[in-house]
Amino acid sequence: MTKEGVCRRTVLTAGVASMISMPFVARGAGNAVRIGVPTVLSGPIALLGTSSRNALMLEADRINAGGGLAGRKIELIFQDGKAQPQETARIAREMINSGGCELLIDATPSSGAFAVQEVVRDLGVLCFHTGSETSSLTADPKLRAPTAFRCARQGVHDSIAGGAYLAQFASEHKFNKWATCSPDYAYGHDTTVQFLDFFRHFKPDIEIITQAWPKLGQPDLTEVITKLIQAKPQALFTLLYAGDLSAFINQGNVYALFGAMSVCTPNVDYPVLNAIKNLPDGIQSGTRYFEDFPALPANKAWGEAYRTRFGEYPTNWSWQSAASMMFLEAAAKKAGTADGKALVPVLSGLTIDCPFGVDGRITMRDDHTIIDYAIGWGHTIAKPPFITGVKAADWGQIIELETAWKKQQGYI
Amino acid sequence: MTPLAREGGIALIVLALLLGAPALFSSPAFEDFIIRLSALALFASSLNLLVGASGMISFGHGMFYGFGAYAFALLMQRTALSLLPAFLLTLGLTALAALLVGGVCIRLKTIYFAFVTLAIQMLFYSVIISWESLTGGDQGLRGGIPRRVIAGLDINHQRHLYQVCALLLVVGLFAMRHITASPFGMTLRMIRDNEARAAFLGIPLWRPKLAVFVLAAVFAALGGVLASLFVSGAYPELADWPISGQAIFAVMLGGIESFLGPLAGSAILLALNDIFTRITEYHGLVQGGVILLFALGLRRGVLDFLRRDRARGEAASR
Repeated sequence: MTKEGVCRRTVLTAGVASMISMPFVARGAGNAVRIGVPTVLSGPIALLGTSSRNALMLEADRINAGGGLAGRKIELIFQDGKAQPQETARIAREMINSGGCELLIDATPSSGAFAVQEVVRDLGVLCFHTGSETSSLTADPKLRAPTAFRCARQGVHDSIAGGAYLAQFASEHKFNKWATCSPDYAYGHDTTVQFLDFFRHFKPDIEIITQAWPKLGQPDLTEVITKLIQAKPQALFTLLYAGDLSAFINQGNVYALFGAMSVCTPNVDYPVLNAIKNLPDGIQSGTRYFEDFPALPANKAWGEAYRTRFGEYPTNWSWQSAASMMFLEAAAKKAGTADGKALVPVLSGLTIDCPFGVDGRITMRDDHTIIDYAIGWGHTIAKPPFITGVKAADWGQIIELETAWKKQQGYI
Repeated sequence: MTPLAREGGIALIVLALLLGAPALFSSPAFEDFIIRLSALALFASSLNLLVGASGMISFGHGMFYGFGAYAFALLMQRTALSLLPAFLLTLGLTALAALLVGGVCIRLKTIYFAFVTLAIQMLFYSVIISWESLTGGDQGLRGGIPRRVIAGLDINHQRHLYQVCALLLVVGLFAMRHITASPFGMTLRMIRDNEARAAFLGIPLWRPKLAVFVLAAVFAALGGVLASLFVSGAYPELADWPISGQAIFAVMLGGIESFLGPLAGSAILLALNDIFTRITEYHGLVQGGVILLFALGLRRGVLDFLRRDRARGEAASR
């Protein structure tokens, strides 16, 4: 009995000790450039994380086949931050401190990105944020980190482009009575206000007659849809996204919502389109990632390569992640090294050839955020390519109004 | 040697080992682990002050963990206070909040107490989400925690943060140990075991219950402060109900009856999380399975199992 007890205790103690010590066993880095990718691989937005992972693998394989980053092969290390800031911060730190990673590609939403930003500030490593669209991450100089770059669209850019397009659309159709329907949390409220500000800037006579705020992930949207129909707006602007947007369109079809008003959204992505049973014609839609916009052979080829390899369409996060690798590749080529710290000054102000640029080029501005990426608005059709008549946003106008907005916010 | 002196000596030795460890082997991952363990272990041990020592099963204890994180981060971001006054003020504010919450809850028993504490935590979480101008809403308090230098210790520096966390972990655990071993702790156990008898002996039941509720909240807030320093901000997840569940898991894994049970449970929980998130994206499933095995195989937690196993072994050898 005693002997058996001692044995069980020893086994248990050894098991617990080995479990606790295992995380501290650092792995050898070799000559490869190890890139840590904190992302989201579980929960409701796992699709964005896996689509980022796919895009990064696609680009890493392409770069490695061409000789790597300044002669060094890329090795990607993915970990799930579970969309929790503290967990994302932990894995980001661990990747650098003990995982042998030299730089980070942070493919997490804003809450994770802000936590990673502080880790990056502490550790001073090169980092690309490829998921966060919250403008203040790089626009606010107090929040900007010297070695962190945003390789993702920015909320204020989309608001200006969307506001300009919707103002033109509203003028053409004489739509003055509008409704909004956005998720009931900070993103939904803040971005709706920002969109409406720029919308009013271009068309001051619009009237918002009702606003609906469904909860994130709300399964039954009947109450929201009937409220909108009863208010009888001429048009609706919605910031619902992903599963909430497809649920809204599917349930809206049942109540003939799309016959009662015109609907406008910047958030239509391929996975949303796939989840919609009967996509109504004529939804005014922004392009997140779209193979046919910009209409460049390189963009088409990249989308096809992605679909061929992974059997699914890329998302907005896919092109953003892929673009970060393209920036890394171009900076390493220019600097002749893959050393993250040496790449920081090279990246600032760097313009690269990129299939996702509106003219085939994207610039990393000196405030560490990208410009000249493809932003367009068109309208939906029921069959592929799903969105047609896409008009490109005017980047001159975007930058002019963004500068005014930054002054208003006290950022410059 | 008195038990207090003996345990004080052990605490000093452990502290010396922890502070000396980086000189023997430099491992940033180990330091990170101890920082996170300090936060969770203080939080879980504070919950065990309620659950183990007092029989008050709180499902909403995470509120004070989140309160500590937010209060400290807000004080550091919005006031000119330096680290130590902000830290002490955070603990004071938490005590005040716990006094108010405890005043409502402690007269309730068993499941009613558990669910009212959970309800108040949910209310607190909703306030964080809704009061966007103060808390940053669902995006959390971003922008880092500034002015982190005190007495030559720059907490921006990981090694210094590690040293501060190790110190607070040992001091916090020692203080809680002292509380449970004191006459006050014995009174709590008497109330836990037989409330009617304690009342007949003339003990005003609400007073020690409220006192331990406030003390547990203060230690939980201490854990929250360390968590906010680690992520350099405060996020709603630090105050949401799963964080209470995490502390309950840690207590159940480590053992309710052993004082160091929550510490052991926290270490196991963090290690399981770190290992499985590294090796599989189905970490939730695997981790849940392993915890289930722990729960079924070691029903009273690892340390309680080892203690009882040893006691049985000694009895059999006599």
